[in-house]
This record gives sequence, structure tokens and C-alpha cells, in this order.
Amino acid sequence: MDQILFALLNGTIYGLLLFMVSAGLTLIFGMMGVLNFAHASFYMLGAYFAYTLQPLTGFWLAIILAPILVMGVGILVERFILRHVHEHGHAHELLVTFGLSVVIAEMIKMVYGKFAVDYRVPAELNFAAFSLSGIDYPFYRLFMGGIAVVMFIAIYLLLTKTRVGIVVRSAIYRPQMVEALGHNVPMVFMGVFGIGAALAGLAGAVAGAFYTTNPNMALELGVMVFVVVVVGGLGSMGGAMAASLLIGITNSLAVGSDFRIADILTWIGMGGWAEEIGGLLTMRMSSLAATLPFFIMLLVLVLRPSGLMGEKE
Amino acid sequence: MKYAPLLLLVTVAVLIALPWLVSGSMLNAAVQMLIAALFAMAFGLLCGQAGMLSFGHAAYFGVGAFAAVHAMNAFGGEGLLPTPLLPLVGGATGLVSGLLAGYFSTKRTGVYFAMITLALAELLHALAPHLKTVFGGEAGVSSFRMPAWGIGFGSLNDVYFLTLVWTLLCIGLLYLFSKTPLGRLALGLRENAHRLRFLGYNTHALGTLIFAVSAMFAGIAGALQSMNIEAANYVVLESHISTAVVLNSFIGGVRVFLGPAIGGAVMTFFGHVTSDLTRVWLLYQGIIFVLVMMFLPRGLVGELVERIRNPSGEGFARTLSTLLARLASLAIAAFGAVFLIEFLQRVLSPEYRAGVTDGNWPDIALFSYDWAPLSVLPWAFGLGLFGIGIALVTMVNRRVAARKEAQA
Amino acid sequence: MSDPILSLQHVHKSFGEAHIIRDANLDVIPGERHAVIGPNGAGKSTLFHLCSGQFAPSEGKILLNGKNIAGLKPAEVNRRGLARSFQITNIFPGVTVFENLRLAVMRKHNLQFVFWRSAARLRVVNEEVDDLLTKIRLTDRAQTLASQLSYSEQRSLEIGMTLASDPQVILLDEPMAGMSHEETDYTAGLIREITEGRTLLIVEHDMSVVFSLAHRISVLVYGEIIATGTPEEIRGNARVKEAYLGEEAA
Repeated sequence: MDQILFALLNGTIYGLLLFMVSAGLTLIFGMMGVLNFAHASFYMLGAYFAYTLQPLTGFWLAIILAPILVMGVGILVERFILRHVHEHGHAHELLVTFGLSVVIAEMIKMVYGKFAVDYRVPAELNFAAFSLSGIDYPFYRLFMGGIAVVMFIAIYLLLTKTRVGIVVRSAIYRPQMVEALGHNVPMVFMGVFGIGAALAGLAGAVAGAFYTTNPNMALELGVMVFVVVVVGGLGSMGGAMAASLLIGITNSLAVGSDFRIADILTWIGMGGWAEEIGGLLTMRMSSLAATLPFFIMLLVLVLRPSGLMGEKE
Repeated sequence: MKYAPLLLLVTVAVLIALPWLVSGSMLNAAVQMLIAALFAMAFGLLCGQAGMLSFGHAAYFGVGAFAAVHAMNAFGGEGLLPTPLLPLVGGATGLVSGLLAGYFSTKRTGVYFAMITLALAELLHALAPHLKTVFGGEAGVSSFRMPAWGIGFGSLNDVYFLTLVWTLLCIGLLYLFSKTPLGRLALGLRENAHRLRFLGYNTHALGTLIFAVSAMFAGIAGALQSMNIEAANYVVLESHISTAVVLNSFIGGVRVFLGPAIGGAVMTFFGHVTSDLTRVWLLYQGIIFVLVMMFLPRGLVGELVERIRNPSGEGFARTLSTLLARLASLAIAAFGAVFLIEFLQRVLSPEYRAGVTDGNWPDIALFSYDWAPLSVLPWAFGLGLFGIGIALVTMVNRRVAARKEAQA
Repeated sequence: MSDPILSLQHVHKSFGEAHIIRDANLDVIPGERHAVIGPNGAGKSTLFHLCSGQFAPSEGKILLNGKNIAGLKPAEVNRRGLARSFQITNIFPGVTVFENLRLAVMRKHNLQFVFWRSAARLRVVNEEVDDLLTKIRLTDRAQTLASQLSYSEQRSLEIGMTLASDPQVILLDEPMAGMSHEETDYTAGLIREITEGRTLLIVEHDMSVVFSLAHRISVLVYGEIIATGTPEEIRGNARVKEAYLGEEAA
């Protein structure tokens, strides 16, 4: 029971992290129509920037400065690259960001090497928040979850209570309206892109210390984020939230599960056959955990192609 | 374009004569180039003609590669089919997996489609290590090419011709395919799927089928790859394979028929010749891609074809001199940029950093000179050349613009 | 009077609380050119969407050749002989005019999953495309990319694609929208030619076109057809004047 509780908590926190990245992606897509393939690269940049800054500034300042730097990168990308190719259409913009994700990953490899760097949770945060039946629960996980929650509240307030927020929100649902606002649109685009990037950067700066910081982290998380937006429906914040949590929780439940498909088949007397076939049927759920989100995505595609909360195309 | 058939004939003749023209290492590179060209053409069908951007084409390439290896090993090494026909197995496997994957991914269009293809490829990549019987675990699956039809298939020449025949055949088939009703409908799918649906076509089935055909040719390319190296490892399922085909195809240009093939071949060639010179070829590939997307959105071949079809009206000599001026300035800028990147790479490399002791930074040899990393010189040299090149390009562009304005 | 080829009987359409079409009744006679006019927001486009299968009516029947087509999918309605154009130009911009029409014609011949024949050798298809090109007067633009056509040429192409399935009934949704006077005259002439021997239902704002082109006119106001008649009858109809023309005069 306690294990399930732990898994639920881990899953929720991982889900919140996913949401931090997918929220920015959704925001940018809804506003600009651009699927930013390099979004997860911003997450990675956040982690590496924080890792680099940490010895100089200490952990706290590092996780504040890193997202700001990432925001700067995001703004440069929007201003000097995306805007340049805007006239060629959204598919072209997607491709350019795809190219950027390659360039960023290769640059990271060049500067920091191909393997994980030693970016760790600082000692002062590395303690148990509580323990259940003798198992400690790391405080840092709660800390990540807390940051994610604080971010949502901040974004939510920004979007609902400020003038800029109203412009951005109306742009998500009525892009033409914002077009009609004329001169300040490029500025709003740049701002949204920058903030989206900063969000991903913050997620990276915080999570990189807990998970691993390596040149593959962008791809690994990026794929999960894409699964989240396919499942949740791009442009729907609620959908992104629900899908992030769903995927985070199933993932961490599966990691702790020894369940095998062969076990079900044993119930109907086909256990022997399943053992003989082997392969997928005898694989433990825990080793399949990484693939579970993909299966959820396929299921959603069959049952509800437009996503959990997506509108029909 | 009236010289196109002649050009094609000459290219094929050169390709046939190649084993007698180049060294073994180059011929090996040529095999890789042919495979990359075919793979890019398969991708081009889906992306260029049908407008469906796949970020996960490594899956079908990989599936074809593994299928071919298993087919080679079938019947105790006798092989399922005679060696020259083994790519059929890769193609069939690609087709079947393409039907399955296409069914799911074409449920959605646009960016969703792109994300789903990526996710499906990652799914396969994540599953592969767990399915040892199919994918052979860390070591992969290896095999031998058996002699067949009086050909040994032991020598590089034999492999080259096998690859050449299959690549040309498949590209020919892809060309014919583009002329069939289904091939024409691919264009409709790209241009306005909504209208196509309204005309009464089943766009989901059309998309699935075209996806499957593309996956089939990718599978053949994968089979040729694993037959060439007589092994398959789940590295072929990794995302960089999918990435490379996207980059190559778009650098060549996906909207002109042979654009992807030329992109694939040229980029593979450069990858081969630079593999001894640089460790960051992928970075260059990414940068070239981004630059091409920004400044030559039709791709290199696409832009060339466009220029030939719609000449600038300035006359041949003028156009040529402008082109040469641009290329020369770009070469200067590129040299500066390459110098900077290579220098940086060397400074940052672990080997070099291990040699740095007590603030003593040894010189670095680059382009047959020794440079001191702490001096301003190398940095100024690289940046300077880059800046000069960019300034020159800007100047040429201004001149052209001014001439155009004067004409108008 | 012959039986109507297209008949709307007590058709309702509501989106949530909004009742867009209320009890619409309309008979279109074979061979006539029938116009639907009405002020903005009267529900003309919705009416078209209902006829062509984009929307299913909330209530009522839509008969095509005496058979109910209410709720059928657009492709199915199309197959039964009713084709429509769109208000927004809806073509394949990046391919040639010829290709646009060929894509439309191939469907009629059920050429969909065919990968063993050359499209260039489909004699019947290509002849029909040439025929359509002549009809819509775009023969010398056949090899031009559709995106490079002028606006009125694109509208002509749109109409040509509507004709490709050789429909009995053609629905044209504001074919003259955004056109100059010359272009309007040109397109009106074109419509007259191509609807020879077919039935036309047209929504149009340009009253001079409507009154010169249509045999009969129906007036749609707030989702209701308040009058149907010849142009003269409509001109003289008091209710129409009050509800529609009067509004314009004021």
C-alpha cells in the first residue's frame, strides 16, 4: 500500500514536471501555431546552464539565472530565426526548430561531452521529507512538485488577471483577433516564446539535478511531452494537465509492478503457452514502463483521435 | 530541363563504372551514399509528395534491416531467398509495419502526425532491447551473404552492384508511382486533404497506404544496409537515423523528385570525407540544415531547378558572376566558422583538458599551424574571416537588389 | 410542374440554444436556376451545409430525387448527384490546374487506390478534364499552378471541380464574392453556360446577378423561407420588401 502511495506521489510529481514543459509548448503552439520541436532542448539547456552556474553562484541563484538565460536563447531563436521563416508556413517553422534541436544537442555534446555531467541535488536539500514503513521519501521531489505548482499558479494569474494575459489568451482562441491588434503582435509572440522557453528551462534546471543531466535528456523528455500533447490535445491546457498526470502516474505505477501479460493468460489456462512464446508476453511491467505512455497514446488515437480534451480538427 | 535525360544517363554510366574509377574506401562510401539516397527517396515520397512529415522513419529502415538479416540466417544460413532478392524481405516487412504504423499516425494530420511518428519510432526503440530473439540484444544479429546466381557476393564490387541495381530500380519505381492515380492523390493529400475528403476520397486509407509504400522503400534501404555490413544492431532504430534522413532530404529539397536522393548522397559523402577531420560533423549537418531552411527553403536541388526554370533575366554571365561572388564570400565565412568550431572543439575536448596543468595551456594544431588558446589570435582569426565573409555576402546581395530596383 | 429534384421539408437546425434554421421548406425544380437570398446571418450557408451533408438537420427531411439525404456524409451526398462549391476558395494550390481537375474527375471513375496504371494514360479521365477546362475557359492555363491563377480564375476552377462529378444539382455558395464588376459578369456568363441541363441552387449577395440569373428566388430570413417566386414576384412581394429589401433601403 505504501509503495502504491509512493508511486502515486512520484507519478504526480513527474506529471507536474511534464506539464511544466508541455504547458509552454501548448502555449506557444496555441498562440503562434508553431510546434516548437526544440522546446525540450530548452529544458536541457536549463539543466546544463544551472549545472555550469552552480559552482559560481550556488544552487539557488543558478536555478533562477538558468531559466533567464534560456529565455534569452528562446527570444533570440524567435527573433532571428523563426520570424525569418514565418512566411514559409508552419511546417517550415517546425522543421527549423527540429534543426535547432539537433544543433543544440550537438553543441551540448561538444562542450560537455557525450556522458552525463555531475549535476546533483545540493546537500542542504538532500534529506528525507518523511518516511513510511522505513522508506525515506526525498524532500527534493516535493520541492520539484512545489516549484511546478507555484509556476502554474503564477502563470494562471498572469493569464487571467493581467492585461497581457488577456491578449495572450484571446490569441490562443482567436488568433485573428490578435492579428488585428497590429503592431504589438511580434512583441507578444516573442514574449510568449521566451516565457515558454524559460518555463522549460526552469523545469530542466530543477529536474536535471534530481534525474540525470545528459545530452539525451531533451529527446527522452521531448518524446514524452509529444505523447502528452497528442493524448491531451494541443492547445488545451486542461488536456495537457490531465495527460501529463495520467502519463506520469501510469509510468511510475508500472515501474513498481511485476505484472506480466502471461499472468493474465494463466488465469484462462494459457500460461504455459505464453511462457513458451516469451517475448512481450513474459516481460515484466517494470521493464515495459518506458513504453507504456506510447501504448496509452495509441489507445487514445483509436478511441478518441482528437485527444482527451482536444477539439475535432 | 531538356538535358535531364542525358544527365541522368551520364550519371548512371558513371555509377556503373565507379568500381574501376575509385578506391575501395570510396566505393564503400558510395554504397552508403546509395543507401542514404534510397532511404531519403522513401522519406521524400511521404514528406515531399504527400506532405506528411515523419520524424520516425528509422523504425522502418531498421525493421527492414533486421528482417533481411533474419532472412539471410533462415534455414540454417541457407537464406529465405537467394541473396539478390533478400531486399524484398526488407521491403515486405517495411510495408506491413508501415501499414500498422500508418494506420495510427494518419489518424491525425500535421504536427500531430509528426509527433506520433516520432513516438512510434521511440516505442520500437524502447521495446527492442527487451526482445532479444528478434533484435539480438547488445550484440545485434549478424549473418553472411551467401553466393547465388553464380555471384559470390563476397567482394565489395558485388555488394556495390547489388546496392546500385536495387537503388536504381526502387528510384525508378518511385518515379512511376508518382505518375499513378494513387501517386497523384498523394499531392492532393499534401495540398488540401480536406478538399480531397470532400471529393469523396478516403483520406485516412490513402494516407495509410502512402505511408506504407514509403515504409516499404525505407525497409528495402534498411535491408541493403544490413546486407552490406552483414549485421544489424538496434542502433539502426535510434533517433539519429530518423534525424539524418529528415536533414538530408530537406537539404536536397523534398519537392523536386531527385532532391532527397541527391541530398542523402551528398551529405553522406561529406560525412565520409570529413569523418577523419572533424568530430562534430552532425553539428555541421544541423547548422547546414538550419541555414538551408532559412535561406534556401526549397533545398539545394530545389533552388537550382527553380533558377534554371525561372532565370533571373540578367543573362548567363551576370548570373554566374553573382553566384561565384556569393559562393566565394560564403566560403570565407564558412571557413571562419569552421575554424572557430573546430578550435573550440579541440579546446573543450577531454584529451586537451587533461593536458592543461597549472594554467599552462599547450598550443593546438589546426590547419597546419599551432595556435595558443589563451591568445586573441585564433579567435580573432576565425571571427574575422567569418565577419568578412558575411560582409561580402551582404554587399553582393545589396548590389543585386540595387540592380533589380534599377531595372524596375 | 415536375416533381422537385431537391426538396427541403420542415427542416430545423439548432446549435445548442441557437435556432439557425426553423421550419425551412424549399422545392427546387429540375433544370431551374434557383437563388437563395437573405440578409446576413439569415442562415444561408447553414442551409447549404445541410443540403450538402456538412451538417445533419436537427429535424425534417431533405429529399434528393425523392430520397432522404438528411444526415448522410458529404461524400455520399456527392455520389448521389449533388455537388457544391465553397465560399472560401478550396482548391489544391500547389499543383497545376489540370491536376486539380484530374483529382476531382478521378473520383468519379473510382480511381483511388490504383498504383499500377499511369494517370497520364487514363484516356477517359484526361478527356473529361480537357472538356472541363474548355467549359471553365481555362484551357490555356492548364499547366499553371492553381495558386498563381487570378482570383476569378480560381473561382472558375472551383466551379470546374464542382462539375467534375457530373452532378445533377449544383450548389454554389457566393461564387461572386469579392469580385470586380467585370469578373462578376464573366462568372455569371460562365455559370449560365455550365448549368445548362443541370439544376442550380445559388447563394449570392449581388442582387443584379441574382435577378438576372435566377429563374426563381427564395428569401431566407431568420432561418425561415418567407417567400419563393420568380424575380418579378419577389420584387413585388410585400413581406420580402418589409423584411429584407426594406431593411436594405433603410
